[in-house]
Amino acid sequence: MDLRIEDHPILSFPERKKVKFFWEGREVWGYEGEPVASALHAAGIKVLHKSLKLDHPRGFFCAIGNCSSCLVVIDGVPNVRACTAKLRAGMRVEMQRGAGPAPSDRE
Amino acid sequence: MRPSADAVVIGGGVVGAAIAYNLLKSGMKSVVLCEKSTFASGSTGRCGAGVREQWGAEHNIRLAKASIDMFEHLAEELGYDQDIEFKQKGYLILAHTEKEWDQFKKNVELQHRLGVNSMLLTPEEAKDIVPALNTEGMLGATYNSRDGHANPFHTTRAFLQAARRLGGDICFFTEVTAIELEAGKVKRVRTSRGDISSPVLVNAAGPWAAVVAKMVGVDLPVYTQRHQILVTEPVGWFLDPMVMSFSIGIYCQQTPHGSVVMGIGDPDEPKGYDTGHSWQFLREMASIVCRLLPVLRDVRVVRQWSGLYTMTPDAHPILGKVPGVDGYYQAVGFSGHGFMLAPVVGRLLSEMILGKQPFIDISGLDLGRFERGEYMVEPSVV
Repeated sequence: MDLRIEDHPILSFPERKKVKFFWEGREVWGYEGEPVASALHAAGIKVLHKSLKLDHPRGFFCAIGNCSSCLVVIDGVPNVRACTAKLRAGMRVEMQRGAGPAPSDRE
Repeated sequence: MRPSADAVVIGGGVVGAAIAYNLLKSGMKSVVLCEKSTFASGSTGRCGAGVREQWGAEHNIRLAKASIDMFEHLAEELGYDQDIEFKQKGYLILAHTEKEWDQFKKNVELQHRLGVNSMLLTPEEAKDIVPALNTEGMLGATYNSRDGHANPFHTTRAFLQAARRLGGDICFFTEVTAIELEAGKVKRVRTSRGDISSPVLVNAAGPWAAVVAKMVGVDLPVYTQRHQILVTEPVGWFLDPMVMSFSIGIYCQQTPHGSVVMGIGDPDEPKGYDTGHSWQFLREMASIVCRLLPVLRDVRVVRQWSGLYTMTPDAHPILGKVPGVDGYYQAVGFSGHGFMLAPVVGRLLSEMILGKQPFIDISGLDLGRFERGEYMVEPSVV
């Protein structure tokens, strides 16, 4: 069960495109444009980040882009909040360990 | 708070904390430190926290060198149970103009003469040390691996805890309101929490040094000026040394926590006590640092703040006594580099106060130098 709400008394969910993306190199799927954290959660992936000092697991928490709990590395960019990043096909999402990789020089 | 003491130190920044500790360590029995807010709440806690020997004037080099010797063993000496985060990953100082490159050659020569192992680097060699550096337009750089940075809060707290263990009375939220003299001697200090009789008074009030000096009738030729600074979110390790440029007026370092701290000097900044911050600084800082270290482009800023430099006419501190006011000592006007000099200044001031020969000759750094016209020259300030 992926915990997605199909029927809701007030909200409606328009049909969206199913896309493939990668979590830690593994292929998973979600709906295009939904928050990356939703797609990961639906895929059963709960640990998104390891804490800075003690390496403790961190995951989906505030869900509104405020806290730093769901930081992931997307296509090599660290410190991306999975709860506000929109899902695109082919995205490579990695768990962020601590501060993540050093910033790199991309054009 | 005690009604009397052997010495009263005004200022709970790193300089006041270091002086109080050194007085107690050298055998003074009763020392009271008065801080109008809490520790490191003035310039110390707002500073860029760099520590460098790479100066262009002899006094600054000698003092900074001795200070780094002390920083290397500071946590141990003070019995501090945490880390003061002293990291010696060097300072890389960039030259972008012919004028500063010529100055750097002279600086390095002087530094070598005083036992500092700094070196001149080509832009390629500089890039070996900081691969993320954009060397475009760079003529060269100087580097000294013994330079570095430390955590100003932990350093100050370490001094204060050690002072307390030695019986020091450290009083926060205690503002000095007046100083009573008797026959040209320091007699009593009035504070917001009562009076203290003391024959010795040390002014380590940072940006408020001139206010305190006025209480004993001394005019200090200093002014205060805001310097802005920001910190980014933590990122993976990419920057070993402090990167600095005098002509661009920038410094930038990555703390052990991973965040990047940076500031620029604004020559048009008005004098005064403003410690607010501006969006103009954010924009300017971001554009300069992203040109120098392009990898920072995707890194977010999490906080900005500002602190005050207390500038003297020659960018050197004013240390020691003042003729005509017995028992009054000052360690003021650090011109933006008080944090790095604090360990050595703590020791030197306590030696002066206890009537010993200071272990480094700082007689030329007294207040009288301005009247005598003996200005120092320091070409290397941001």
